[in-house]
Amino acid sequence: MRISTQSMFESGALRLGELQTSLVKTQQQIGTGRRILSPSDDPVAAARALDVNQSQSLNTQYGRNRQYATNTLTTVEGTLSSVTGLLQDVRDIVVSASNGSLTNTERAFQATALNSRLDELLGLANSRDAMGNYVFSGFQTGTPAFVKTATGATYQGDAGQQLLQVEATRQMAVNNSGLSVFQGGGQDVFKTLTDLVTLLQTPGAPAPATLTTLMGDVDLALDNVLTVRASVGSRLQELDSLNSFGEDRGLQYSQILSELQDLDYTQALTRLSQQQFTLEAAQRSFASISKLSLFNFI
Amino acid sequence: MASSILGIGQSALTAAQVGLNTTGHNIANAATPGYTRQVVVQGAAMAQDFGFGFLGQGAEISTVKRIYNEFLSTQVRSAQTTKSGVDVYYAQIRQIDNMLADPKSGLSPALQNFFSGIQEVASNPSLIPARQAAMSSAESLVARFQGMANRLSEISDGVNSQIVSSVNEINTYAVQIAQLNDAIGRAQRATGQPPNDLLDQRDQLILDLGKEIKATVVKQGDGDYNVFIGNGQPLVVGTKTFTVFNVSSATNPEKIEVAYKNSNGSTVVVGEAGLVGGKLGGLVEFRSKTLEPAQNALGRVAIGLGSTFNTQHQLGYDLNGVAGKAFFNVPAPYVGPSANNAGTAVLGATISNVNALTTSDYQVSYDGANFTVTRLSDNTSSVYASFPQTVDGVDISLASGAAAAGDIFLIRPTAKGASGLSLLVSDPAEFAAAAQTGAVGDNRNALLLGGLQTSKTLGNGTATYQSAFSQVVSQVGNKTRELELTSSASANLLSELTTSMQSASGVNLDEEATNLLRYQQAYQAAAKSMQIAGELFDMLLSIGR
Repeated sequence: MRISTQSMFESGALRLGELQTSLVKTQQQIGTGRRILSPSDDPVAAARALDVNQSQSLNTQYGRNRQYATNTLTTVEGTLSSVTGLLQDVRDIVVSASNGSLTNTERAFQATALNSRLDELLGLANSRDAMGNYVFSGFQTGTPAFVKTATGATYQGDAGQQLLQVEATRQMAVNNSGLSVFQGGGQDVFKTLTDLVTLLQTPGAPAPATLTTLMGDVDLALDNVLTVRASVGSRLQELDSLNSFGEDRGLQYSQILSELQDLDYTQALTRLSQQQFTLEAAQRSFASISKLSLFNFI
Repeated sequence: MASSILGIGQSALTAAQVGLNTTGHNIANAATPGYTRQVVVQGAAMAQDFGFGFLGQGAEISTVKRIYNEFLSTQVRSAQTTKSGVDVYYAQIRQIDNMLADPKSGLSPALQNFFSGIQEVASNPSLIPARQAAMSSAESLVARFQGMANRLSEISDGVNSQIVSSVNEINTYAVQIAQLNDAIGRAQRATGQPPNDLLDQRDQLILDLGKEIKATVVKQGDGDYNVFIGNGQPLVVGTKTFTVFNVSSATNPEKIEVAYKNSNGSTVVVGEAGLVGGKLGGLVEFRSKTLEPAQNALGRVAIGLGSTFNTQHQLGYDLNGVAGKAFFNVPAPYVGPSANNAGTAVLGATISNVNALTTSDYQVSYDGANFTVTRLSDNTSSVYASFPQTVDGVDISLASGAAAAGDIFLIRPTAKGASGLSLLVSDPAEFAAAAQTGAVGDNRNALLLGGLQTSKTLGNGTATYQSAFSQVVSQVGNKTRELELTSSASANLLSELTTSMQSASGVNLDEEATNLLRYQQAYQAAAKSMQIAGELFDMLLSIGR
């Protein structure tokens, strides 16, 4: 076939251009470590990577939310553990106070001891978390949960339960209102303690029946606290397992993202050297062919 | 006899000279675009009868012709038109593809940060720093929407200015082609010989015109080219040109269109169907098939996010116990009445259901009795006797006035969604995280707001904000990929066709070098024969001495 000189140069230039383009592309991929430089390189994978990225980011956020939940629940658990110990102390004091041989003065001592326990309990009920929020005030986290009154304490919070999104489909309560912890289960622990103090401060041996009733109330309060603690404990346990589940998931997402986006370096480097070789060959052959001309000989 | 030898030698000398000239011309133009090689058509001169037989009278040049294949040339032109269109579309869409490409600066990270901010508020509803962080991430989300919308509108401005320059090119080519028609006609009538270089120039101009738009050439009996573009709109007829020009779209002044004057002097806009191939065709196709849908789709994500977020936010209470305000300013649909409308009707459009929104624009036309609303993406129409009506989540109403038959309106529900989105709340305390008033630790509304990230609030319950955006990425990516392949295929086709055309018409320098040698030798031989004729004559003279 007859070939025009211009075609020879044009097709040479075109081919060299194509080879250079693909070489540069491979180089860019190697430079960035990304297989997909723009969505057009693999539209399906590019769009899917965006969606997986969102899942990954959500998963990370749920992890943070779990961290918050764990912090708050740990504060609650710590406080409730103190409350449990305190109520057991109260129980011991009441048991010893029921001893009929005690004098009024001795009972007054115990009343004083109980009174300071009452203040301590009030302090515990008004605990704050690391951010300074009152943990037992429901949604009224800026207000102390309880304020002391002559007959016990009044709840100033509300029944709100703060929920956190700890997993895609799980919202977990991270607080218990003071109402349910300290005045739940049909009895008010502050009133019981105040009543006990008043009883022991009153001269004369208290009626055993009254003491027994109040003792029963202390036990009820203790049971109530223990029930709340059990539920807090189980939530903390659930958070633990959700954490490891979340970490697994995060790992899976990273793997999927890597498969979708990341470059296979072995393959890319092989391709690079192959392309380099081809380009060099094309350059050399073009240079030598373009030198051929009859004009060199005439 | 000697004089006859001299004459023959002289004719051979002339022929060799013409050959050398033509070869030189070919060599000189080896790299001239559109040049086709020329060859000398040489024949034996009429022989003379001397009784004993016919004696040749030397050589004769009948013409210098160009080696031109009209069929191949038409094919090259058509391939060139296709390639230019695909290339310009590819160059434009690559800009969007690259914009969407960056995993760090795309919309997705901004969207994710925004919702992470909301979740942080849900975890710490009374913490001002958490609220401040959420407000900042909301600001950067809005800025990202606006930034992407601005980039798209820059691309749109670029398309407009390229359309204008393409139209200028077309007009310039038209004038030049008409001038060449004239020059070629006159040269041919005067000499009866083809003016090869002028013909080449005209064919090259037609090829260049084909880079701008698909052009149809009808060759006339007298050798003139009549050129038609679009739907048979004449551009050049003989030596007369019909210019095309730019007008702003009657319903959307931001959009530049192509028009011409018809015989009665009125302006006729060339529709998209009429602008096929070449840069102009590629630009117009890019604008309607990729750019506008991408703008609309981005706007839909912005409007969807803004409205659903607002609705939920307004159900809550802020840190001061006040009912939540609208969080985002959500832009209203664009309504463009045609500048040519005869009636006084003003149409109103508001979005009533973001879930039903599409990424299409709509045209409303009035025929004197009924309104026809056409969804432009698939040309589905609905006919209504009156407004208000709800179409794909958009409430269309007749705000005032009355329409006249033939009135047209363009409604773009989401086109301005991303560029017009802004924040209405700036005080972190005004973030309505609570579901009840006066509860600083109440995070219930923040939780619900956070849940919107994964709710399928768009596309009739099929898409989240993120997946609606992913759709854009995937559509643009797929189209870019398709164009990349088409572009390289059409480049190959063009290169093959050009090579076969060049194979016939192109200059081969080795061949010309051979011709040089050949004509040089012919010249030398002719000179020699004339020298011999001279010597013979001298010999005769010496006899008489």
